[in-house]
Order: sequence, then C-alpha cells, then structure tokens
Amino acid sequence: MPAAENHIALRVERVSKRFGGFYALRDVNLEVRQGDIHAIIGPNGAGKTTMFNILSGILTPDQGQIIFEGHDLGKLKPYRRTELGMARTFQNIRLFEHMTVLENVMVGEHGKAFSSLWNAFHKAVLYRPFSRVVEEQRMRDRAMELLGFAALADRHDADADDLSYGERRLLELTRALAIEPSLLLLDEPAAGMNPQETDSLNQYIKRIRDKGVTIVLVEHDMNLVMDISDRITVLSFGEKIAEGMPHEIQADPAVVEAYLGSEETL
Amino acid sequence: MIFDAYIQSLLVFTGINIIAAFSFYVPFKTGQVSLGQAGFMGVGAYAAGIITVKFGLPYPLGLLFAGLVSGVVGVCVGFPALRIRGIYLLLLTLGFAQIVQVVALTWDYTGAHDGFQGIPYQEYTIFYVYGTIVILLLFFSRLERSSLGRAMLSIHEDEEAAEVMGIDVVRTKLFAFGVGALIAGIAGAMFAHYTTYVDSRTFNILLGVEILMFAVVGGVTTYWGPILGAAFLTLLPEGLRGIRDLMELIPVSATDAIPYGNPIYDWMYEFLDFENEKRLIAYGLILIAMMILRPQGLLTRRTVRRLKFWKRDLASARS
Repeated sequence: MPAAENHIALRVERVSKRFGGFYALRDVNLEVRQGDIHAIIGPNGAGKTTMFNILSGILTPDQGQIIFEGHDLGKLKPYRRTELGMARTFQNIRLFEHMTVLENVMVGEHGKAFSSLWNAFHKAVLYRPFSRVVEEQRMRDRAMELLGFAALADRHDADADDLSYGERRLLELTRALAIEPSLLLLDEPAAGMNPQETDSLNQYIKRIRDKGVTIVLVEHDMNLVMDISDRITVLSFGEKIAEGMPHEIQADPAVVEAYLGSEETL
Repeated sequence: MIFDAYIQSLLVFTGINIIAAFSFYVPFKTGQVSLGQAGFMGVGAYAAGIITVKFGLPYPLGLLFAGLVSGVVGVCVGFPALRIRGIYLLLLTLGFAQIVQVVALTWDYTGAHDGFQGIPYQEYTIFYVYGTIVILLLFFSRLERSSLGRAMLSIHEDEEAAEVMGIDVVRTKLFAFGVGALIAGIAGAMFAHYTTYVDSRTFNILLGVEILMFAVVGGVTTYWGPILGAAFLTLLPEGLRGIRDLMELIPVSATDAIPYGNPIYDWMYEFLDFENEKRLIAYGLILIAMMILRPQGLLTRRTVRRLKFWKRDLASARS
C-alpha cells in the first residue's frame, strides 16, 4: 500500500551481521512508523547495540537493506546519514569533553551552517566576514534555546567534563537535537540514572516526540520502555522474536521465555 | 633598520619558529600529530628557491609557490595519514621528513650535496614574517569561532562522535593537514631567503622535534600556545647567553674573595653557553618536566578563556 508507505520512517529489511562465526543479527526486519517512539529491547547480547551501529553507519551489515525516508542507506557514511536527518546518542556518553557545553551543541549544528568545507573557508576567510559573524550569532542563539529546553542554559560556559552525570546525558541528547533530526536513535538513554532523573528524561523524550521527531531507543529500564513506547521490537540472540504494542509484548509468551533465566524481568 | 643586526636576526628566527609551531598546531587541532613539519619546511624552502633562483621570479611569488607546493604535498601525505593515528602517524610523518632530506641530498638540479646556494637575501624578511603571523592570528581567531574550527576540535575529541554529528571527518582532517603543510612551506621559504643557503641537513628530524616542542610546551589547544612556546624556547638560550655576558662584568677580585668563587664562576660561565647539544638536553629536560607538571602545555583554551573573563570583569568593575 503506497499510502501506508509514507508513514514508515525507517525500514530495515533482512539485515544480518556476523562477527566471526557468531550472528549478532540474523535476518532482522524492522519498520518504524513516522512519529512513533519505537523501543528495541532484549536480553544482553541480543544485538541491540549492533543494530544501532548499523543504523547509524558505524558498522555495515553483511546482508540486507536499510531504507530511511525513501533513501537506501547502503554503505552511506555516518555523516551523510546525519545530513539526511538521522541523529544518535551513545550508550557510554560521548561528549567532546574539552569543549564547552555551548560548543558541544553548536557542533551538532554543523550541518546547518554550510554543506561544504570549501564553501565555509571561502565565505569565512575571503569574502563575507560580517555575514559569518551574523550566522555564528544565529547558531549561538539557537544552541542557547536548545540548552534552555534542556534546562542547561546556565551551564553553557562550563566544559563538558565538568557536568554531572545526568547533565551529561541531557547534553548529549541536546547535541543530537541540534542536528534537527527527523529520526533520533537513543542508545540506553536512562542507563545509570536515578528514578527522578529517569522521570524527567521520560518527559523530555515525550516532548521531543511531540515535536514530530521519530524516536528509536534501546533501553533496559522496562518501566520507562513500557510507559513511553508506541511500539516495541524484541530481539533475542540476534533474531526478532516479537513486535507490537507494549501490552502485547508484556503478554507474549516468547518474550517471557527469552527473559526467563536472565536477571532482567518485564 | 630599526634594530641592530643581532636583535633583528633573533626576531626573524623567533618569528619563523612561531610560524612553524603554527604549522604543527593546525593538524593537531584535528588530533593529527606530525613530526614531519620540518620536511614541509624543506619542501617550501626548495620550492621558493627554485622559483627565485632558477626562474628569477620575485620573492612574494616564491612564498606563494612554496605554500602551494607544500600544501599539495601535504594533502598527498595526508591521505595515507588518514587511516592511522598515534605512534604510527608519527612514524609516517618522520618517514616523510626523511624522504625530503634524501631528495634534497641527491637532486642535482638544486645542488644535491653541495646544498642550494645563492638564494637571494630578503632584506625585509622581518616584515614578511610578522605580517604572516598577524594574518595567521586573524585566521585562527576566526577559526576558533566558526563551525569549521569546532568541527576540527570535535574530531580531536572523538572522531566517531564527530562523524555522527554530521562532520565529514576525512575532508576536515585532510584540510587541516594541508593547511599545516602550507604554513610550514611558507616558513621554510622565509628561512631559505634569510639564510640564503639551505641543504639536506637544514630541515632535519631534530628540527621536526623542536617544532613539536614549541607547540607542546606552549600549549596546543589555543593558538596563543605555539607563540609562547616558540618565543620562549627560541629566546631562552639567547637570554642565558645574555646572562653570561653580564657575568663577564663581574670583576675577578669579587670571585677571588668568595671561597670556591672561581670554580663556581667557571662552571656557571660554561653552563650558560647553550649551543646545540646542551640546548637539546635542556629541551629534553623541559619536555620531561612539562609532561609531569603540565602535560596540556603552558596555555590552554581554558586559561585563555579565564583571562578573557578576567579582563571583562576588570573592565566592568572600572565602569
């Protein structure tokens, strides 16, 4: 159905990835609908992070296709995917530690500034020095606005490595939002957070979704997943074992089976 | 000239060292450590020499050509350098500097082992040198507050995260390496036209190490660092020699009066003469001390920012 086609933001078709003899992913299909919060869950070693790295282009799949808003991502490099409107955060927060909070966010705005380096050099140095100042100011204002959205505005001059853990998570998320993505990939955003911080993260993610951003997240915190997800995909040993709404997943015997014996419970 | 010849040559060599330190700073901004900047200086020196001696073209054209050739060579060396980092990149750039030396030694066109002789002396080198430094400073201060500059820094911090932020890492790193080589080439050209003679040993591995020293001691996270480092390390031996000259004014009767006065005087007098070997030993010691006490260099982005705030606070307090 072509009509339904328009509502699919991201389609993963029969993707496999092997490390040596071990299948991290085997023939996984995935469809993420526009505007959804779509969670990928599964026991440790199920292939969630591999899936994320394949989606963002850090790993290339051995087989299969990834189609994002009609573009076949193929072997597209990560920065090209970002230009198409895809942003991600990392499980182990990866900020630019020795740059300020504001600069971190402004790096996210990089793609908005210009498309080519030569263009930048040309404009910045040779011809229009003053218009660049204006553009720089505009980017700065935009970054401050985003920091305000995350309640980090008063920390804008601190170095990223001076922030608290919760602030660092928020900053990484804000930096990803500076890309103005249509698809946001969150790799365990609540890892290491206390219940209070998780709660405010929960609100924050919903607010991002309400701005029209499609969100795919990998998460271990089942309370968070069940609360915010519109759809859930369950992976186990590299294969998809279930997909559906949160209440369907909770009732699925295959899912319960996969989680039995592991320390995580639904 | 305003300065006497000694002061002038001191200023020229300090300036050339500052430019060379800048040439290390630019690729380092993207995390690329190069020991081969002396090699690029050699490329620039020979390129400018060929233009002015063999083709008889004017000095400014020689500088431009030197920068261009060196920049192009830099991009070519930068390609294999993209895939490797850390110690391997050091070795690659070292190897490059070695190749330049061998070519300089064997190329008959530029005098081979006799060296490149008769390069015209440029009387106004000092103005060219400091003019270049001012232009570079303007460029760096703009770079600091631009997307390109932030992209370079972010690559230094975390290459993968930078790429995910939409930065073309390959192109940015190549650009930085090329610009670094270009700057080194210009420094080499100025050097050649000041000393009027260069040979294969002029731009040796040790010079590459010295350039790294200038940048690392001053601090590589801000463009003020290379200036401080290069100026400090170039002027230090001269300053010590100055103290030696002052020591000569002490009358012999004064040292005679102190027990062991004469041996101490002799030892000090000897010690303060910082010629090559001793200078290198001192560099080594300074580097070791720096790595233990202040590995980030004398100046960092953070200190520069604090100084700016301090200046602003002072200004607002006054008004």
